[in-house]
Amino acid sequence: MRLGHSSVVALLFLARAVLAQDPRLAARLDNPTLVAVNAIIDSARVSKLPTAPLVDKALEGAARGRDGATIISAVHQLSVRMGSAKRALATNATPDEIKAAASALDVGVSVRDLARLRAASGKQPVTVPLAVLTDLVGQKVPILTATNVVLQLARSGVKDPEFAAFQRNVRADIDQGADPTVAATTRARGALARNATPTKPSE
Amino acid sequence: MMKDIARELRAPLSPPLSASFNGRVMAAVRRMPRHSRFRLWSRLTTPRTVTVIPLSWGLLAASLALFAIIGATRAFDDVRTATKPIVTALFPSSRVPEAPQRVQFVLVAPDAKKVAVVGDFNGWDAGHASYQAQHRGGGVWSVTAPVPVGHHRYSFVVDDSVWVADPTAPRVVDNDFGVANSAIVVQEQK
Repeated sequence: MRLGHSSVVALLFLARAVLAQDPRLAARLDNPTLVAVNAIIDSARVSKLPTAPLVDKALEGAARGRDGATIISAVHQLSVRMGSAKRALATNATPDEIKAAASALDVGVSVRDLARLRAASGKQPVTVPLAVLTDLVGQKVPILTATNVVLQLARSGVKDPEFAAFQRNVRADIDQGADPTVAATTRARGALARNATPTKPSE
Repeated sequence: MMKDIARELRAPLSPPLSASFNGRVMAAVRRMPRHSRFRLWSRLTTPRTVTVIPLSWGLLAASLALFAIIGATRAFDDVRTATKPIVTALFPSSRVPEAPQRVQFVLVAPDAKKVAVVGDFNGWDAGHASYQAQHRGGGVWSVTAPVPVGHHRYSFVVDDSVWVADPTAPRVVDNDFGVANSAIVVQEQK
């Protein structure tokens, strides 16, 4: 009897599947939920999606005391959003970018706008711009306005620290009673002006 | 003619049957294909020589070694995680390029009796010792804790029951659980 190579390969896959399971999930989830969540995570792994955010989502659900069905649904929805995000951001997107893009999709940003942001940012990571965009929408800035503002900043080469400062300023303005749309567009003009290349004075 | 054929068939065999004829017939019968159930049992119980090519043994040994190495790595990671506070206390200046960055979390909660930080970076564990905020006076709670490089969602848990997003950080509305978390992007210090 020859020991087939297929059995060795099967053994390797079995070992990988067993070792890939996060022990924290088994400690926090009931068995039916654990089985379902692990199945979703395995599918994500096959699709080459980052699996840590899915584990985190399940752990968060357990920490918040959500029932198994809600946790499974949340993990599944996140998996779907990450798949869309990865396709929109191109194949070389980092796990952090995919995670941030999935959050943006959750608040209503379109897949098309994710792709536009990717194109506008060139080789710069889009994690921070996506976090700012998600925050703006959460601050009641209309999605269209928020998307256009962040795209403009990205196209003009605004860096992560400036994006973060822009977000803080908009939040401070809104907290003081400013209209969210006006706050976002006004602060964006300021950031764009600061980032503009100084021109030589005309002679 | 029919009579001749019948006579020929009834005539005794010449030469007569040998003593081992019965054994040869039974051996031939045993070699005939059998029902699958008996064939499986026979494969399991009949002693036979097994031929294994050396490459298969090599692959099997490699897979078992890989299994052991991955297991040992995980065990090492657990030990490293468990001893990390001790190592940090003994060698505060030690830092590798991919090391987590120390991040300060602050919440103003005058009526709180306990504040903890939970997030992707600590498995959303409100009991994690490194993420328990201290009361600094005047209702200000803070903790400076290690957070891995990357994008994280987090929240404060006040008095083990009330979840509060960080009012100073970007917000992440989470429609899956119907709540809002905060977002932080930790970048490696250059």
